[in-house]
Amino acid sequence: MGMVDSPSRRSGKKRGSKRSKRLGFHLDMTPMVDVAFLLLTFFMLTTTFSKSNTMEINTPPEKMEVKVVENNVLTLRIADDSMAYCSLGGKAPRRVPLYDSGGNRSALSGELRQLLKQQDSSNKKLVIVVKISEKARYRYLVDIIDELNLMKIERFSLDDYTDQDALEVKRAI
Amino acid sequence: MSRIKAKRVGFRIDMTPMVDVAFLLLTFFMLTTKFRPPEAVRIDLPSSHSLLKLPETDVLTVTVGGDNSFMMGVSSQQSREKIFNSVVRFKLQSAGLSSTAVADSLKHFKLADNFRVDQDELDKFVVMARFANQKLRPVIKADANASFDAVNKVIKVYKKANLLTFNLVTALEKEVR
Repeated sequence: MGMVDSPSRRSGKKRGSKRSKRLGFHLDMTPMVDVAFLLLTFFMLTTTFSKSNTMEINTPPEKMEVKVVENNVLTLRIADDSMAYCSLGGKAPRRVPLYDSGGNRSALSGELRQLLKQQDSSNKKLVIVVKISEKARYRYLVDIIDELNLMKIERFSLDDYTDQDALEVKRAI
Repeated sequence: MSRIKAKRVGFRIDMTPMVDVAFLLLTFFMLTTKFRPPEAVRIDLPSSHSLLKLPETDVLTVTVGGDNSFMMGVSSQQSREKIFNSVVRFKLQSAGLSSTAVADSLKHFKLADNFRVDQDELDKFVVMARFANQKLRPVIKADANASFDAVNKVIKVYKKANLLTFNLVTALEKEVR
């Protein structure tokens, strides 16, 4: 390693009688290789090929209206007290905790998940409308969408939380 | 006796290929590494199981901090320049800045990843960004504890600008369900 050959001056002339004098020299490359490895380990350890993960949301255009039979609409209202209020059609909403108490904070409560799954499997035409109160946290939105994605429920949409919804929440069971 | 040389135990290995590979890797990592710029605001991302990756180019990011402040960023410098020329330049000039000062702030603006935006100006910036680059992919990067109200405002701004498909940046959650 590290041998550099330079062409000898008298190569080819006096063949056989005397070996031509080698002008090559050795260069100690150890420090350079040391530094190279140091840099290599540094870059290998600091590099994270991190691209952020995302989830995609489609929102319907404002003017477009889709008519859905009322009984096929499951409205999921999230009030600011981290409670979910599920109501099918025009029925009075049912109060379900959004998260299990004390458990994993990023997973929805088992009760709510079961309810969503059951409703979705019992009615193929079901559309879930998610309405989140303005006082709620952004995390609720991500957790709900994540949960719906995991359950492979694609028929859901976001809607504004109005005063009407606040009144609906009040008559929850 | 002394004629017989002691057998050498040490030996030499040709390390050239190993060093070659090491240098190759070194150059690869040095060239691909892009140091993460210091974040202006710490964003505590919400977690999800989504595996979709964020595209690298043509991204319009609106960041919502935990204190419900808005920041905006466009990935390409050309778009940034267009936004500057159409929105910021006028504001600076009417504030009485000299042309050299304006040119200087353009230079800063082009290099900045994010810039703070007031809530009522967000729609103007988003529309201008959309105008500067039609292929922009709208992205919302919001803190998990930001209020839904603030995020909803961004969604409405996107809707108004006719950006109907957008992405939410999340951290990957490993737990399987």
